[in-house]
Amino acid sequence: MRAIWQIFRLLWAADPHAMWRGAALSVVVLIMGAALLGLSGWFITATGLAGVAGIGIAFDVFRPSAGVRFLALGRAGARYGERVLTHDATLRALAALRITLMRRLEIWPIEALRQLRGGAALTRITADVDALDGVALRLALPVAAALVTHVVAFAMLFWLVTPAVAVAIALGYLLGGSLILLRVALRTFAPSTEAEAAMQALRRRAIDLFRGQREAILQGLLPTWRARIEAEDSRTRAAQDRLDRIDTGAGLVLSAVVALVTALVLGLSGGLIAAGRIDPAQAAIGVFVALALAETILPLRRGLAEIGRMRDAAERVLAPPPAGARPLPAVGPAPQSDRAAGLEVCDLSLTRPGRDVALLSGVSFAVAPGQMLAISGASGTGKSTLLDALAGIAPLRAGSARLLGVPLGEWPEPALRQHLTLLPQRTALLGGTILENLEIARPGLTEDEAQEVLRAVALDGVIAERGGLEARLDEGGAGLSGGESRRLALARALLRRPDILLLDEPTEGLDAETARRVVAGIRAYLPTAAIVAATHREAEKDIADMHLDLKDFVQNQQ
Amino acid sequence: MSAKKTPSSRLITERPRQLLRAASIWSAFSGVLWPVQAALIAWVIQGWAAGGIGAAGWAAAAGFALLGLLRATADRVAGRRAFAAADLVVAAERKVLLDRESLRSDRAVSSADLAALLSEKLALLMPYVSRYRPAMARVMVLPLLYLALTASLSWAAALVLLLAGPLIPVFMALVGMAAKEASARQMVEIGDMNTLLIDRIAALPDIRILDATEKSRADFAALAEGVRRRTMVVLRVAFLSSTLLELFSAIGVAMVAVYVGFSLLGEITFGTYGAPLTLGEGVFILLLAPEFFQPLRDLAAAWHDKAAAEAVAEELEARASRVAAQVLGAGARVDRLGGPATLEMTGVRVRRGGLVRAMPDLSVAAGESVALRGPSGTGKSTLLDLAAGLLRPEAGQITVAGRPLDDDSADGWRARLAFVPQSVHVPDVTLRDFLDPHGQGADLAAALDKARAGSIVAALPEGLDTRLGETGAGVSGGEARRLLLARAFLTGADVILADEPTADLDTGTAGEIIAALVALAEAGRTVIVATHDMRLAAAMGRVIELEGAA
Repeated sequence: MRAIWQIFRLLWAADPHAMWRGAALSVVVLIMGAALLGLSGWFITATGLAGVAGIGIAFDVFRPSAGVRFLALGRAGARYGERVLTHDATLRALAALRITLMRRLEIWPIEALRQLRGGAALTRITADVDALDGVALRLALPVAAALVTHVVAFAMLFWLVTPAVAVAIALGYLLGGSLILLRVALRTFAPSTEAEAAMQALRRRAIDLFRGQREAILQGLLPTWRARIEAEDSRTRAAQDRLDRIDTGAGLVLSAVVALVTALVLGLSGGLIAAGRIDPAQAAIGVFVALALAETILPLRRGLAEIGRMRDAAERVLAPPPAGARPLPAVGPAPQSDRAAGLEVCDLSLTRPGRDVALLSGVSFAVAPGQMLAISGASGTGKSTLLDALAGIAPLRAGSARLLGVPLGEWPEPALRQHLTLLPQRTALLGGTILENLEIARPGLTEDEAQEVLRAVALDGVIAERGGLEARLDEGGAGLSGGESRRLALARALLRRPDILLLDEPTEGLDAETARRVVAGIRAYLPTAAIVAATHREAEKDIADMHLDLKDFVQNQQ
Repeated sequence: MSAKKTPSSRLITERPRQLLRAASIWSAFSGVLWPVQAALIAWVIQGWAAGGIGAAGWAAAAGFALLGLLRATADRVAGRRAFAAADLVVAAERKVLLDRESLRSDRAVSSADLAALLSEKLALLMPYVSRYRPAMARVMVLPLLYLALTASLSWAAALVLLLAGPLIPVFMALVGMAAKEASARQMVEIGDMNTLLIDRIAALPDIRILDATEKSRADFAALAEGVRRRTMVVLRVAFLSSTLLELFSAIGVAMVAVYVGFSLLGEITFGTYGAPLTLGEGVFILLLAPEFFQPLRDLAAAWHDKAAAEAVAEELEARASRVAAQVLGAGARVDRLGGPATLEMTGVRVRRGGLVRAMPDLSVAAGESVALRGPSGTGKSTLLDLAAGLLRPEAGQITVAGRPLDDDSADGWRARLAFVPQSVHVPDVTLRDFLDPHGQGADLAAALDKARAGSIVAALPEGLDTRLGETGAGVSGGEARRLLLARAFLTGADVILADEPTADLDTGTAGEIIAALVALAEAGRTVIVATHDMRLAAAMGRVIELEGAA
């Protein structure tokens, strides 16, 4: 529950002003609704009494009827204002919630972030933030508004009718309502967790089936895989059925509370009238208000039925970052570095992420500024792991690496990123224009600079054909071919103008001629950088100054 | 506009329809009880004005409470029936979708999109069935009933309701159109916040390396602010529609109250049938007025459930209407097809990407090793898919093990096959289960050695018990192909189909794969590879050159 509270405070803080006004208006809506029915009931009964008594002429009809009209119009107006204000505040809150989530994810180990890219994990995050969207709008605000409304209604009934009726209504609704809603909230925890888990499992299994469909058919496993999906489907349905049973059950009991409270007021008022404590018109106020207050508690059940889902989502969103390698300190002063020192690696040994067997050992090389080293090796020998280690993403097992004269472990991450850039094997672009994609690497980039770097990676022609720097890419950079996206990511890396540039298969997917132009372009663009490129292609090997084959350092050869 | 015609209502089959009918009847029954409760209140208040009714008041209150309980119960029964209907609709659609998509031979959309449709998106049909449909049923019955009851006492009060009620849908439609237009104007080129968020999170490793986390967050905040501004423009108009509904119902209730009040005072003398309204009749009319509008408000609240369901239903229909080429057979595990391991194709034509193209004729004898060579685009992969029954030919004859390859023989034929695709899908299972999917418990180590894949297993942290796939340890493309060849040794498959098994690999790994394929061929198995790798082609017994087919 603490997690939900934390999320609520976050949502509220996004725009407290609008939230307060929205909350105030939602109270106004409820109070005006109850007042409208109460006043109408009083008005009719009072006029009825006056008519019977034959004193209709003396009855002041104009103030009450004006009151009825005012409440009717005012309620509609307040409702509109409430909806606009709370939605506006909620949209701000949604952005704030998502930014908080991004902040939290930013400190994850990069290895863990890479695993997030699978479809299932990202949809899970979306589902979670969606569930949390309702914390203010469907849970906190309606509950608070209902409570305030009941306090006001209690005071008004106390004053206009009689304490007994006020107490009956307040006790009936607050006690009955909160007991039932509390019970709903508690009982839905387990099934909502279960329903959500089953739904996620269903989705995962479905992705497995559709992705591995050919494999399943070839192995004759399709019926088995289908059966697994059907099992998750049944689990989802059973959990949802349980939730619906709790939900409709709560609806039943809440409606019963409304009926009982109204009946209680109806019966009680008869006695009070007989005792001369109130007149029938006052009694009518009590009855009509008792009915109207149903609107304060009936809608709450939906928000409270979601509380289990909200809690789980809040806990996942606020969970501490997963364990994983963070070889570099996150903050710290920039060390004294020497640009002329380049990159020196001495007797390095590495393991694959999450495995403890040595993958490579005894790797040593030095790359001076302006030099390029090509690293080759069969797939799986650890080219990418080596580059990750040098970029401070994966841990070193033994040995040392000095970047610009400073041992790798003494570089705080932000300082290292100023001097070193890695082009990983898998890169991601963003939805937006080409220029925006480049600006991420260098804020305030000019168009000339952008064109220059695009020329360096032989992409200027392609981009011009597609409408220039303002051409838009879809989410994930969709709209460019594989080779084009690769070169745009490369251009982005070059814009950092690093002293050390690590490239993992930079020309993958390019034909030999273009690959050569690209590698030459990189060297011309960064004439003083120390460049290390992992590759199995000839273009890099030919243009590089040195060449290292990792097969000499591979461990556990059998 | 007939409700029967919409895609979403077509999804409701016989059994859910019956359940919904029951739900609607229970729901309407609950609505019918309200006038009785209202009459009790009216009777009590009338009694109070007439000088008190004593203990009868408590009896009436008890009656009111009992009726209230009965209504609550009826609502619950209605709700449960409607839920059951919704549950059946979703379950049925899920099954239909799975039946069709799991045997589809072409996959036009991404697996993740399809899985989203199957899980969360289909679930969007539930509120439509369980809330919108019963609300629709109530709108058809209850307002008319309350109107008739009101009219039986006062035609003037009924006229107020009659004027306010039907105007609501008209105004709502007008506002709805305005909202649609506003949203069309505003929503160009903007995604919703979640799409933006996913985009940024997926790129987070890159953003970290580029030291651009703050810039990325600031960009996101600016984009989200744009989304908010544009959304609010749309919402301001859209909320007008629900406000109008509230307004009309509030004005309706207020006018009824004022009319009744003035009538009771004797200041208004029209609107009834002779005798003036009594206090009890007035209270009764007043209590019916808000309930007259309630079904409409319920329907409006469920409106976007319907819009969401409509979108899902349209997607389902679009998907169903596309011709789905199905694979041969059921993908089930059956006994191996008997006969020699041969493959023949004559006059085969196949539809790919809307075009029908002719495939070259082919005849491969048992134990033969064949390389299909040709530039890309000549249909090498298509040929292998046809041979495995993963594609259904439009015309021509495919003969395997001496009998036609069709729905009856495909599963049995595939039981003899090992297929090494260009990009291997590694499912989320342990390596042991991957190699030995049917749990035959054969000698894994020997098979791995024969396929020269032993070193891959040795490098995995938990050896054969390592989980593979998306959430587990990754294996590279070359490693996965070697593991599949190991599986071919293991399962005793006597026909090996491999699609570009050495593409994108360095010479060392490619050599390992060629050696494994040669070992399989030497063991007397039929090996067919599609390749443009000269070394691999040379290692096979026969090379078939494919021409650029027309």
